[in-house]
Amino acid sequence: MIYSLKDVTKKYQSGNGAVRALDGLTFDVLPFETVALLGPSGSGKTTLFRLLNATLRPTSGELIFDQRDVSTMSSRELRQMRRRIGTIYQQHQLVPSLSTLENTLCGRLGSWSLLETIRNVARPTKRDTEKAMAALEAVGLEDKHRARADELSGGQQQRLTIARVLMQNPDVILADEPFASLDPALTETIASLLLELVQNGKRTLVATMHDVDLALRYFPRVVALRHAQILFDKAPSAIRRDELIALYGDTFKLKDDVRLDPDIQEPSGEFSYKQHRAR
Amino acid sequence: MNLRRLATALALSAALIVCWRAAEMRPTVLFAPGTSAAVWAFISSLFPPDLSPYFLRVVGAALIRTAALAIAGTTLAIAIGLPLGVLSTPTLWQRGVILAGEPPGVSKLVVAWLSRSCRALLGFMRAVPDLMWGLLFVVAVGLGPLAGALALAVSYGGLLGRVYADVFEDVDSRPLEALHATGATRLQVFLRAIWPQAKPSIVSYTLYLLECCARSASVLGFIGAGGIGYEINLSMRLFEYGQLATLILALIGLVAATDHFSRYLRRRLHANAPAGRFAFQKNDDQPSLVYHADRRTRATLLVATAVVAASFYSTGFFTATRVGLVSRMAGFAAQMFPPDLDPVYLRSLALPLLQTIGISVMGTLIAIAVGAVLALPATSTFLFSGEDEPGHRSLLSSVGRASVYYVARLSLNLLRSIPELVWVLLCILAVGLGPFAGTLAIGLHSGGVLGKLYAETLEEVPARPVEALRATGARPLQTLLWGIWPQARPTLISYTVLRWEMNLRVSTILGLVGGGGLGQAIYNNVQLGFYSRTLTIVGIIYALVILMDWLGDRLRIRRTAI
Repeated sequence: MIYSLKDVTKKYQSGNGAVRALDGLTFDVLPFETVALLGPSGSGKTTLFRLLNATLRPTSGELIFDQRDVSTMSSRELRQMRRRIGTIYQQHQLVPSLSTLENTLCGRLGSWSLLETIRNVARPTKRDTEKAMAALEAVGLEDKHRARADELSGGQQQRLTIARVLMQNPDVILADEPFASLDPALTETIASLLLELVQNGKRTLVATMHDVDLALRYFPRVVALRHAQILFDKAPSAIRRDELIALYGDTFKLKDDVRLDPDIQEPSGEFSYKQHRAR
Repeated sequence: MNLRRLATALALSAALIVCWRAAEMRPTVLFAPGTSAAVWAFISSLFPPDLSPYFLRVVGAALIRTAALAIAGTTLAIAIGLPLGVLSTPTLWQRGVILAGEPPGVSKLVVAWLSRSCRALLGFMRAVPDLMWGLLFVVAVGLGPLAGALALAVSYGGLLGRVYADVFEDVDSRPLEALHATGATRLQVFLRAIWPQAKPSIVSYTLYLLECCARSASVLGFIGAGGIGYEINLSMRLFEYGQLATLILALIGLVAATDHFSRYLRRRLHANAPAGRFAFQKNDDQPSLVYHADRRTRATLLVATAVVAASFYSTGFFTATRVGLVSRMAGFAAQMFPPDLDPVYLRSLALPLLQTIGISVMGTLIAIAVGAVLALPATSTFLFSGEDEPGHRSLLSSVGRASVYYVARLSLNLLRSIPELVWVLLCILAVGLGPFAGTLAIGLHSGGVLGKLYAETLEEVPARPVEALRATGARPLQTLLWGIWPQARPTLISYTVLRWEMNLRVSTILGLVGGGGLGQAIYNNVQLGFYSRTLTIVGIIYALVILMDWLGDRLRIRRTAI
């Protein structure tokens, strides 16, 4: 098991009293699994992500990452854990005034020593630069490597965050709305890029998304959050229409061409995006 | 609610009356025949300015000393302000995305507490005015430019540190979160996410500070740092008004030159916003990293380093006897403790304290009036119609408008370039020693500063609503009241409140040259060696400035709430 959550709760102090952003979550994520996280806005998806990449502490409950309890880790160990987790943020979170190349190099920060950090600010090493260029090539941005990050279009910025994660070379990828604000064609490109990345590198992927069709089509396991709690956790084939209505409300409607596919197997870790598309 | 308004109005008018009395306002003196005769006699005695080769050499040497002092002071202020600013940035050490995931513990609390103490230290450094630091350093390290450089370093270091911390705090926090999540350390997050975002503001503010330092450096001459202030003081005492005219012209030139230089640099830096400095080139299968450094940038850096080194040399930084310097400073600091809290002494400070507050309030009110009157004709958008607007323009009206505009700009620059302390000396000639001279001095100098800020704000108001009003056939006054004023109001108010806070600091030192307030008491105590009494006053000023900062914050919050 890569993640194991037992009764994880996160409370925020707000004006009058505490607000539960997550309320007693219990679930596991196996190595090399690809999990889609569904849920309406405000259901706690982003908070869960911040717990999973150890940038936020749970108020109570047990969060275990690769057999280690996160609450017992020191700052240094937390940093080492974060290095193994690559996060793709919804709002891209790039450093606007740095170039595309420098933003890609940022993925490596966790594995640099103090000396290397200072060296790399002055002038990146040849080895790191070549790696960064390879990552940029993989997402098709190598021609843009001198452009400032804020000069890129939305889709290019999204690809740049993926390049940064490639550079980081993590065991786990957390993707928060990786397809939001992308046009349909680009969604296909990015989805295939992301899933190949997970598949080829033997990585684990947890992705939140708004688009239910996409989740049902590409992911063998779907976890749904509602009101800070897990509503269901199952394969797309087992999801019933009334469960989706319970999740999103009465007005929820699937696109006509997407059926709840009975062929998709229980989560096994052997899921391949390519196989799925061939079908 | 109405009752509350009435009470506020009553309290405000009472406070104003107290301030009026405390500042010993005697507006009638200004219009007395004797005064205008004295002012006229003074102005005519300024001509002709002394342009003899001997004196010009003196002026040149003084200018170089003052410029060197300003540059050395700014460099030291950066050296002090940058580390303290980083340490007092809350996002790095106290709260926010970087700290949310850290395990709780004693070390986390200690670090947060240390960071807060750094912030408090910065507050103290900038609350005590530069001239007062100058007085203290003169006692500690002896008369000369070194004391001046240290004074600039401490007081402007405090200011820079606080501004740097605010800039670091205000950057977009999302990239910080992203880098932190890759396992980056604090230093890495700072270098790769905070600094690149903050750099343009940091550079721009530091250059602005160089201007302030140039003005301050000239004033520090009054207390023995040498340079142009020293010469001004000397010429006034010798009643050599021809020399005084030359010196004031030189001072205006120096301030204008720094102003233009820093504006030029800022524009250049903004124009060349850094794209990627590194380019990756693949020549056949031999990939290489090419560093694109502009040759001009390198040359500029080289020249800048040389200038800074020369400034330190001329300030006597390398040659000053460092033997026992630290122990002398420590001995001096030890003499200041404990502060003198004798009730009789404290009571004797009450009147100067009230005077100081009165001077700052009345001076700021005068400055608002002066600034407002001069700002309108100095607003280019208000005076000139757009190039491509239809209609006939007579040559006479164009020339008239242009001359009004340039006269207004010139007077604002004149008022602004002459530091408060020199204005005090000039006002004393007209209205005699005392707080009224100090009040007028603050009013005139701040009037120049505020007028320039007001004009810039009015020019930068979004043009479209104003255009829409003009398209309905509104008169200039109507567009001003309905289109420009509502948009500019918040900025204008916040500039004014900030200036008042600054004037409060300034009004504590006017007494050094006879402008009333706490400055006289400080000067006397330092001269007589009553260092523990000096510390008491420094403490009072610190408390006062903190109170005003807090009040200023409250006022600005109220303003946004309105």
